[in-house]
Amino acid sequence: MLIEIWTRDGYSGNEEAGLIDRLSRAGLEVGAAKLSRLYNIDAAWPRGHFKRLLSGLLADPITEKGSLSGRPGLDGFYRVEVWLKRSATDVVGESVREAVHDVLGLAPRGVRFGRAYYLAAPGRRKPAGGAAADPYQARLRAVVARTLANEIVQTVTIA
Amino acid sequence: MEELFSRFTSLNEKELVRLDKAFGWSLSAAELVQARDYFRKAGREPFRGELESLAQTWSEHCKHKTFSGPVRFRSGRKVKKYRNLFKETIVRATRELDRSWCLSVFKDNAGIVEFGSDGKWGLAFKAETHNHPCAVEPYGGAETGVGGVIRDILGVGLGAKPVLNTDNFCFGRLDSKKKLPKNALGAERIFRGVVDGVRDYGNRMGIPTAAGGIYFDDGYLLNPLVYVGCAGLIPAEKIEKKVRPGDLIVSIGGRTGRDGIHGATFSSANIDEETSSSAVQIGHAINEKKVLDVIMRARDRGLYGALTDCGAGGFSSAIGELGSETGARVRLENARLKDTGIEPWEIWVSESQERMILAVSPGKMPALEDILNSENCEYCVLGEFTGDKRLLVTFNSETVVDLPMDFLHGGVPSVEKAAVHRPPRISRRPPASRAPHGRALRELLSHPNICSRHSVITQYDHEVQGGTVIKPLQGRYGDGPGDAAVIWPHAATGSVRDHAGFAVAHGFNPAAGRLDPYLMALYSVDEAVRNLVCVGAEISRTALLDNFCAASPAAPEVMGSLVLAAEGCYDAAMGYGAPFISGKDSFYNQSRDAYGKDHPIPLSLLISAVAPVADVRRAITMDLKRAGNPLYLAGVSRKGMGGSVYNEVHDTRNNYLCPLDIKAAVGTYGALLRAIKAGCVLAAHDVSQGGLAVTLAEMSFSGGFGAVVDLSSAPSEKGVSALELLFGESPSRIVVEVSREKETEFRRLTGGLPVARIGSVQERPELEAGLGGRGLLKEDILVLKRDWKRELL
Repeated sequence: MLIEIWTRDGYSGNEEAGLIDRLSRAGLEVGAAKLSRLYNIDAAWPRGHFKRLLSGLLADPITEKGSLSGRPGLDGFYRVEVWLKRSATDVVGESVREAVHDVLGLAPRGVRFGRAYYLAAPGRRKPAGGAAADPYQARLRAVVARTLANEIVQTVTIA
Repeated sequence: MEELFSRFTSLNEKELVRLDKAFGWSLSAAELVQARDYFRKAGREPFRGELESLAQTWSEHCKHKTFSGPVRFRSGRKVKKYRNLFKETIVRATRELDRSWCLSVFKDNAGIVEFGSDGKWGLAFKAETHNHPCAVEPYGGAETGVGGVIRDILGVGLGAKPVLNTDNFCFGRLDSKKKLPKNALGAERIFRGVVDGVRDYGNRMGIPTAAGGIYFDDGYLLNPLVYVGCAGLIPAEKIEKKVRPGDLIVSIGGRTGRDGIHGATFSSANIDEETSSSAVQIGHAINEKKVLDVIMRARDRGLYGALTDCGAGGFSSAIGELGSETGARVRLENARLKDTGIEPWEIWVSESQERMILAVSPGKMPALEDILNSENCEYCVLGEFTGDKRLLVTFNSETVVDLPMDFLHGGVPSVEKAAVHRPPRISRRPPASRAPHGRALRELLSHPNICSRHSVITQYDHEVQGGTVIKPLQGRYGDGPGDAAVIWPHAATGSVRDHAGFAVAHGFNPAAGRLDPYLMALYSVDEAVRNLVCVGAEISRTALLDNFCAASPAAPEVMGSLVLAAEGCYDAAMGYGAPFISGKDSFYNQSRDAYGKDHPIPLSLLISAVAPVADVRRAITMDLKRAGNPLYLAGVSRKGMGGSVYNEVHDTRNNYLCPLDIKAAVGTYGALLRAIKAGCVLAAHDVSQGGLAVTLAEMSFSGGFGAVVDLSSAPSEKGVSALELLFGESPSRIVVEVSREKETEFRRLTGGLPVARIGSVQERPELEAGLGGRGLLKEDILVLKRDWKRELL
């Protein structure tokens, strides 16, 4: 189960502006940016267990929101997902795994931690047809590899 | 390659080198031949684990072959030979100084000096580098660098409690326009990752990160330098460690995985486009915190006889080192693993983090287990130390290593290295002024090597443990650049009535090293000592760490610079009476770009200095305190703009580095310290990068006061220009604000020394500098501060 957590509007401005600045310095103009944390919890549990983890463990109810079915309202944004490779120790994932056990009394098979970046090209919508038909996406991929991920230890997917 | 390895003893030198490259050992041809000849004589082929063990144990990272090996140094017609460069320079100074307060030097994971007045405590100090890992994966590299040096402190003697982390970084310029090779990470990316890694590890461990520096130069574009240090307190009776035959080999902390395989040998290789991801290490601060808590409890109950950390080389290095006098029997099937697909030899050399090895008497194991379980800290018993002086490692019935300890530790061949010195062309022509002084000052204040580091420093928790008395950011607004950190380690000693503390500072000057490596060493030691003076530390008890980073020592010019810098360290240590207590070196900091061009770093020497502060309540900061107080300059301003930041911004065509008069500096610093102790000095700040004008500006805007100075009264060499007075970086100078009520006493204490009143603090928020009635600059301190306080991150 993939749990996605993000900062509520009104609290996330600095983080988003910082990301736009970083990408701009790396040569990519971005119109808007949103950030999320991703927790992939490997367990065959009822949905209610994951809801409890979302609200009781992973998200701060005052400043953050979360979802078990993806982040809504970001049509037209590119979604960049960055995960540590399976061969790399995921320290945050390990800690969350222990915490999950403490909260539910059940241990998942594993927890992996990742990040999602939602980026909108300035002044235009994302075209249909994928990377081949979209030079901006190709450029985005190159800049992400230089700024947000290290492909020696991480995997990157862009959709 | 497996086929080639299966007939190792019959390979010729060329085949051995091919095998070495394929297996990533980084052994030299001579070392490979030595290993081959050993196994030939033994009448058998080696096991893979044996060659891996030799590669780790004989690596530059573990053995420091370059620094401790023979060198033939040539400068012009003069030739000098060293049998062991390290012992004949750095260690020699310590031996000749023979300070009784040095409790343990050059023999353990860190140096230890006496702390406090009751003889109960030792202060352990160590700095490390983690350069190659940070070039490949900055976040993980920095985290594991911090974790490693903390474990050095945990593993010194029977364990010291860490009370301070330090961090010093070198990166390429963030605005560099140089084209990077395909797989290289950009300077900003490395910078951001390293800072994040240091922050996350130090903060999660509950250790303050409170002393450091950042240096930008395009020489570090492909090879960043990440120096991480740690200081800790240890009871004096817990300094000696001993392994006894029969002691159990107990591994505590993290599990063993494939991460970090060949880290030690990787650091002896040039980074290129084929660098393997297996060299990347991942840190886990929470696991290390558990280890820390276990060690502190078990140490105080005397539950182990010796310990050391698993650093480079993993089990192979830690167990090999602890068992070097006894021998060891290791059963790798007992190791706790992260994954089951790992080969036995990989378990043996893996550099998975947060692991420490303890030598535990079997009778004390149950009590230790109680503590380990109560702290939720994983552990395993890997075997026992023997008395046969052999290293026998097995995995179930499979032999992994079966070697005598004396070959493992003493078999590495020593090869003489050629060193040569070719001095660069030095110009002593009068420096040309290229811009109005006020504009130049603003430019210097915004230069990346001078501007505020607040965006980095504020990410670190420098308050945890509640003992950071003099903080990295100081002054009326809590944002002025401090010279040294002062720590009151009551969290370790448990005493809030004893106000004894210590100060930590650094000296670093690769720009001077490009011109004269010998003077660079002198300047760096002087800067570190000068910074200690500025907070009121007892500099007669200064102890030093040396951390050298250089390009490939196969280049005679690199070795020549190293020899000169090491000689400089010797002379500086003797001159300041400050022994070196520990150190480290890192070579092969050079990379080949996509066009096949090598990019070596400049010779880089970080001097870290520690000195006691008898009463932390009397330590002082650098910000101006009160309008009307007189300002004094201590130390002589000399000719020369060599190595200055001004020269980088506006080339004056003068690159002369002035000599350093250590005797004069020691006299001046001693007098200043007496004045500080007498309460005459309210603020002190050293003159370093950017020169006197930058020092005055920083003191002014940090205190929220202006200053007016006339530099015609400054102690100076005859003929020194206004430009050199304002922006020259000649060493051994400190600006001090003196309490006007105690000015007479100050003058009495500094009489006969090059210490002169140059002006006073003023309420008006302007910095005004003149020279005998001629105005040099007049700037609003708020404008100066705005230029200085740029965001680096």
